[in-house]
Amino acid sequence: MATAIKWIIGLIIIAALAWLAWWSGWFGGAPAAPEPVAPTQTTTTPAPTPVQNTNGMSAPTDTSDAALDQDAAAVDTQAQGLQTDSQSVDASMSDKPIVQ
Amino acid sequence: MTKHTLVSSISSVTLAAALLAPVAAFAQTNTAAATETVTTTAAPTSVTAPAPGTSGLTTKQKAAATKAEQEIDRRVAALNDLNTRVQAMQKVTDAFKQSLTTNIQNQISALTALRAKIAADTDATTLKADIKSITDSYRIYALVLPQARIAAAADRSKTVADMLTTLGTKLQQRISTAQTSGADVAALTTALADLSTKVADISAQAQAAVSVSASLTPDGGDKTKMAANAAALKTAHADIQTAQKDIAAAQKDVKTILAGLKKATPATPATATTTTQ
Repeated sequence: MATAIKWIIGLIIIAALAWLAWWSGWFGGAPAAPEPVAPTQTTTTPAPTPVQNTNGMSAPTDTSDAALDQDAAAVDTQAQGLQTDSQSVDASMSDKPIVQ
Repeated sequence: MTKHTLVSSISSVTLAAALLAPVAAFAQTNTAAATETVTTTAAPTSVTAPAPGTSGLTTKQKAAATKAEQEIDRRVAALNDLNTRVQAMQKVTDAFKQSLTTNIQNQISALTALRAKIAADTDATTLKADIKSITDSYRIYALVLPQARIAAAADRSKTVADMLTTLGTKLQQRISTAQTSGADVAALTTALADLSTKVADISAQAQAAVSVSASLTPDGGDKTKMAANAAALKTAHADIQTAQKDIAAAQKDVKTILAGLKKATPATPATATTTTQ
């Protein structure tokens, strides 16, 4: 009787150890619980930085009628500036020293 | 109908490199000018603030001194105006602009010092020598000023060419869209092709103007060289004027295309609304 009880207790212990080993994954046991993933911070895509327009030109990708008119006007302004530059060249070439 | 592609303009690097050439000449001539105008006769004996000539000068000599001061004032004003224009140049590096500014400032400083010296001259010999230095430095001034002005005009021409290139690309897209919608874009395509040709020539003329004037050096009194410099500057100016004509023609092409695109864009039909009772 005592021997039987000992056998039973021993079997229980062995079973418990086996279960523990299985749970620990020694025998390819229970799949590991998924590790908590740190929540990703969702951010909205920032608005693109407006392209710095030079000389009064509109945005490079803007092909609207208003943009084209703006660009044509910007070219007109620079053309007038070139007229001034050309007159300055002419004046500088016509410069004569004051006779002492 | 195949798409028309714009001819790419001359790179800004090329023009900037060519525009850098006059820096060396400009620096050398202005350094020489600074040296030339300051190195005169004996140092002034007076250590006080400059004052008008005293009884050591005749009335005629005092008038000559006044005239010399006016001549210096005129040049300083022209150099200050040139400096302002140089700061507005867009197709050159900041280092190039700074170099030009430094040379201009050196020239202004030298002229200002000379003016103060003339104002303080008390003897005819010194005054005569100082006035002569203005005339001697004029040979440099007469080259440097138009040379820098031509560089500024060429810079502006290249800026316009780049602006027209950007505008032309947009017009090309709009023409393609109109063509896809079934519009007749033959005239617009022709105008666009002409625009492309003009843009290429604007850059070429600007480059030519800089190339012909950048390597010029002061004549130092040599009349043959003086004539050659004058002819080269005239040629450079003519190149700028040709660029101006190209720009005017390009602007006309742009207006033609814009008007055609607005006609080609179908009007939004009015929507009829009905109410049910």
